[in-house]
Amino acid sequence: MASSNSSSASDEVYRARRIPAVALILPLLLSVAAPIAMVTPVSAQDVESGLAPEDIWSDDYVNQIFPWAHESNDQLQFRSYHDYFSMKDRMQFLADRNPNFLEYHEGLLGGVNARGDEMTATEYEGWYYNHRSPWMKITANVGDGEYNEFNGDNGNYADRPDIMLVGNHHAREWMSFEVPMFFLEQLTYYYGMAGIDNDGDGLIDEDGWDGVDNDGDCLSLNASAQDSNGDGIACGPGDLGVDEDFSEQFITDMVNTREIYLIPMLNTDGVRYDMEEYCGPTAWENCYRSGWRKNLRDNTVTGVTPLPDIDEEVDSSCDGVDLNRNYQYEWGAPLGATGPLFPGACYSSGPNNDVYNGPVNYEDNDGDGLINEDHVDGSDDDADGQIDEDWLGGNSEPETKFIQDMTEMNDDDGDGASEFKATLSWHSFSELVLWPWGHCTDCDNPDQEFLEYHGNIMGDMTEYTALQSSDLYPTTGDFCDWHYGVHNSYCYTMEIGNAFHEYPEDIAHIAVRNVGVPWYMVEIADDPRYRAVVGIENTTGTQWIDMPSDVMVPSKGDIPIGMCLDSTFPFTSDINRTHLMWRLVEPTRQQDDFGPTEWISVSWSMSEFIEKDESCILLDGSNGTRIVSHIPLPDTAVGKIQYKAMLGTTNGAFPFTYPDSDTANYYELSIPYRAPFGSGILALLMFTFIATMVWGGLGFTLRAMFDDEGGVIGLPDDQSHLIDEEDL
Amino acid sequence: MAEGGSDEFSGRLGLIFATIGAAIGTGNIWRFPRMVGANGGGSFLVPWLIFLFLWSVPLIIAEFALGKRSRTGTVGTFRIFAGKRFAWMGLWTAWISTAIGFYYAVVTGWCINYFQTAIRGGLGSEVDTVEVWNSFLQNPMEVVFFQAIAVAITMLAIWKGAKAIEKVNVSLMISLFVLLFAALFLAFVMDLEDGSLDGFVYMFSIQPEYLAQPETWINGLSQSAWSCSAGMGMAITYSVYMRKDEDTTLNAATMCLANNSISIIAGLTVMMAVFAVVDDPLAAVSGGSSAITFLVLPEVFAQAPGGPVVQLAMVTMFFLALSFAALTSMISTVELCVRNFVDHGIERPQAVGFTSLAIFFFGLPSAVTWILVDDSTGVAFPQFLEVQDHIWGYGLMFSGLFIAYSIWKYGWNRYRAWQEENDISGFSLRDYLDNGVSSFRDDFINTGDNDWWIGKWWDYIMYLGFPLMFSVLILSYFADMLANVDNPWDPTNANGISIILLFWGITAGLFIGLNRFIIINRIVPTSGNPWPLALLSGNFTLEPRPLYRNVPEGAEVPIDTLPGGEDPFIVEVGEDLPETFVDDYGETRPHTGSIIEAEIGYSYDQV
Repeated sequence: MASSNSSSASDEVYRARRIPAVALILPLLLSVAAPIAMVTPVSAQDVESGLAPEDIWSDDYVNQIFPWAHESNDQLQFRSYHDYFSMKDRMQFLADRNPNFLEYHEGLLGGVNARGDEMTATEYEGWYYNHRSPWMKITANVGDGEYNEFNGDNGNYADRPDIMLVGNHHAREWMSFEVPMFFLEQLTYYYGMAGIDNDGDGLIDEDGWDGVDNDGDCLSLNASAQDSNGDGIACGPGDLGVDEDFSEQFITDMVNTREIYLIPMLNTDGVRYDMEEYCGPTAWENCYRSGWRKNLRDNTVTGVTPLPDIDEEVDSSCDGVDLNRNYQYEWGAPLGATGPLFPGACYSSGPNNDVYNGPVNYEDNDGDGLINEDHVDGSDDDADGQIDEDWLGGNSEPETKFIQDMTEMNDDDGDGASEFKATLSWHSFSELVLWPWGHCTDCDNPDQEFLEYHGNIMGDMTEYTALQSSDLYPTTGDFCDWHYGVHNSYCYTMEIGNAFHEYPEDIAHIAVRNVGVPWYMVEIADDPRYRAVVGIENTTGTQWIDMPSDVMVPSKGDIPIGMCLDSTFPFTSDINRTHLMWRLVEPTRQQDDFGPTEWISVSWSMSEFIEKDESCILLDGSNGTRIVSHIPLPDTAVGKIQYKAMLGTTNGAFPFTYPDSDTANYYELSIPYRAPFGSGILALLMFTFIATMVWGGLGFTLRAMFDDEGGVIGLPDDQSHLIDEEDL
Repeated sequence: MAEGGSDEFSGRLGLIFATIGAAIGTGNIWRFPRMVGANGGGSFLVPWLIFLFLWSVPLIIAEFALGKRSRTGTVGTFRIFAGKRFAWMGLWTAWISTAIGFYYAVVTGWCINYFQTAIRGGLGSEVDTVEVWNSFLQNPMEVVFFQAIAVAITMLAIWKGAKAIEKVNVSLMISLFVLLFAALFLAFVMDLEDGSLDGFVYMFSIQPEYLAQPETWINGLSQSAWSCSAGMGMAITYSVYMRKDEDTTLNAATMCLANNSISIIAGLTVMMAVFAVVDDPLAAVSGGSSAITFLVLPEVFAQAPGGPVVQLAMVTMFFLALSFAALTSMISTVELCVRNFVDHGIERPQAVGFTSLAIFFFGLPSAVTWILVDDSTGVAFPQFLEVQDHIWGYGLMFSGLFIAYSIWKYGWNRYRAWQEENDISGFSLRDYLDNGVSSFRDDFINTGDNDWWIGKWWDYIMYLGFPLMFSVLILSYFADMLANVDNPWDPTNANGISIILLFWGITAGLFIGLNRFIIINRIVPTSGNPWPLALLSGNFTLEPRPLYRNVPEGAEVPIDTLPGGEDPFIVEVGEDLPETFVDDYGETRPHTGSIIEAEIGYSYDQV
């Protein structure tokens, strides 16, 4: 270390001396370079090297013309928004054309639901416009299979995993029904096809949904064309050339092996009100980041369901219920969550009316004479053997009842449990991927790392931020807490885009950016937990910790040891779960003289890993995230550092160790002495002292030895006579 | 020899050189730099220097005083000073030294081999020193060959007794000084060349945090204790050959200071050379065991400035110096053992031959068995030898303790005698201090011949300081093993505690048990059977074993007042043994010693 310091110092001296020399020859250099300088403007275009989109792709792809409709059809080309009617028409049209795998429905037929309540089809109609939410049952041979009398759908197969995809809980979040519609168009168009060159570059299925430009076509564009969606990320999700050539066979396989329940627009009342009254059809102009959120329940005037007043301030209105606060799991609690101050309470001019979660349920739901004695939280609060049988509130709305009954009545294999092992709910905005819990902060659930794993993958796919729902803000009674908490379904909430009402020209690329997510959910719907387990295990194999030879030991201070993590790995920075184990092994100071080096046995220390804003290359060649731990070591330490990383997931279920214990238990890094060796002057003083004592002492004794006259050193006076006598 | 058959050094310098040669060994040249590196450079020099005066010098003074009066080797000295029943302590002392000698001859052989390899150009910059070391160590024939050479040289050097030992030591020591100074100069040039002289700076820079660590002090003490061979009995042995008026105190100081002077020179040479060349010098220096000598230094010297000739000269000089240092220590080790045989009536050539052969044969296992390779470094090491060192190295501490015990015992006896003389009963610390504690110093150290008057401080060190330092050393050694060795109590663990205690226990038990039958008495078969059979059948008696003191002309001093001094069978060489002795049952019986006496007289006449 000392030598490297001195060499860099001498470099500086060297450079300092060179400057005048360079200055002297600078004019000469300039004159030589002059012809080159004149050429530069000509070759300047070469600086921005790369292809134009037209050089690579078909005109249709370049202009984002989708194959399922004529290019002049703005709605189907996702250049303008659907409304309730056009959406419904399109769904019916597609179902009519593709009866082998699409079956159109509105609401549910009704009957006795899973809770024993007699339901009629009208109970699923919106309060005001009286629509039942349109939905599509998607599976191969949808006309066959079991018929579900309550839900009204055919094509129920016990061996096909079910997935529920729900758009638009919140009326103003228009992208949340555009993305499902885009998904439906894509699915319908490509189902049964094989090997299409979607982008017209001559290659087939070369770039599937993962948020990465796998075939490098976008990256080969000139720089100005690489960010076609203008989000600031070159060749990121939603850009031309990224995930543009997916596998049609995959789509076909998914439709053949899954039952997809696609509900593009749950809150039909709210959407119509927002689009027709509250903001208007060009809401992006006046309501870019505002609008009507809830359904159209009338909370202020009993018995009547008036259209909420157009002039009403959203926040001061008690009309409407926030559907994504109206599910029953932990409904209304805790009070700290965003929601009204008191469950079921809505005051004019009160706070948080925009997230009003519906009325309190004062019924004796189980008929035992008690009210609200067993709230929906997954436990038997009153110890009567039944769980969550008398709820405090929630599922009071037609829309949420629709979801509740569709979920609870969809039991293909007759085991009493919901079939939906995976569920997805689209919202906007904020560019997020969220997973349960939402109702409590800093609370893990048993599937934490698995939920996080899939969430991270979908975050990578969209370049959206992936986090636990309550890390954004706590919510109670949302779709995903209910699905996960009550039905053990892996449930994700997508917060699409950057506004409630995005500009129409942004619809298409936002939809493209988000369409991989439902496909991913469809794929994992068979067993999301097992897929996470396997996935995490696979990612751990590609992650690595710095080898001793790669560690840069700084000339002073802490020693950084880095790791390269897969960004989908549900890493926790909690030091108790993820940490670097290290110890400094030094030679014992009491070495035997002839044996091998003996080392002091010391116990391991922990130091935490900190996420760095650096990328690294995983063992499989993909990009990873770098985390670094600093070993605090004094500069005077000499010896070997043994280190290994213990990598925990968010609930600590996987203490993965690096290096892999199959190959080595730890790595060993030699640490040289890094402190200064001492001061030359003090050393000289010490040398003088030691030399005086030892060499001087030796000289003194030798002189005394041969100096017979000198007498006896240190002889006390009172003893001298003895010597004298004997000498005499 | 006709005057009494005594043997003595020609003069003061002869004694000094012999003792310095004994003290300076490989420990100065490879252990000292390692200790400096591992214990914070200059910080280590502080305790090292302090303990030179607290441990080494006082103990060597004691040894000189003991040997000069007893005029016998270690067994005789303890028989005389600690009393008959404690003569086994002398055997322990002799055994420890000899047991160390078993493997030290092997190590000396390594040094000689490295010298011959160096001079033939086999340690140039192009060689892989690990390869050289491993191939040598794993070749039993080579190791044994050089071990045999080491033993043979030693044997030749001591064959003729004190004067020859003196001559060999003088020439080897002077060569060693010259070689080391030359190497030091080259190392200085090397360290200076990279502009920093950092080896020198590190070696003489005190790092305060090291001074606060007990380990630094313990290592300073142990280095001081081993390096001067204090407590080993070497000084007792060599003082047998002192002239009558020889100084015992200034010689001790001179010897120890000379030893430490060489340590500094060797240490500086190693440190400067290593710091000049090696990237991570401290790891190389403190890395452990013999590695620095045989692995690092050849590599370092191969990079000395001045081209191949200088490099060859440097590495050759270093290993020649190392060989000389080892040989002179070897000489003292063998002489220590031989002296004890001669004391008990064995002819010197016989004793030398027997001891040398024993050292060679008992060293063979250390030389060739259990040669392992360190997994982490790929360096071979002799596990058997290592275990020997592990077991007997700290046995040396007990030799030192026994020397202190003799002094305590003498002091106590003198106090009791004084009480009787003055008709005083009851213990008084004041009287004990005046008439007991200081009596050894008054009677044997400040005799009037010495150039350095020893004050009360020596009493304090021997009575208080020594037991304290001894306890700290032994306890820290065991504590270190407890802390850093797996399964220290497993007796099959070669690096553990149990194996040490086991061997110490067996040895001490055997020696104590044999004390009466072998050491102070001897077995005389009463039937016609040869003596193993006689022993088994119980048909034997014991008679006192004669002890012959090597008292030079004019150095006769009575030893009657000593605890074991009244024994009539302790005689000066040339004196007649009593013809009878009184046995345990009070019967007066004839002694067979006259026959032996005749033999001895005959053999000395031949010389």
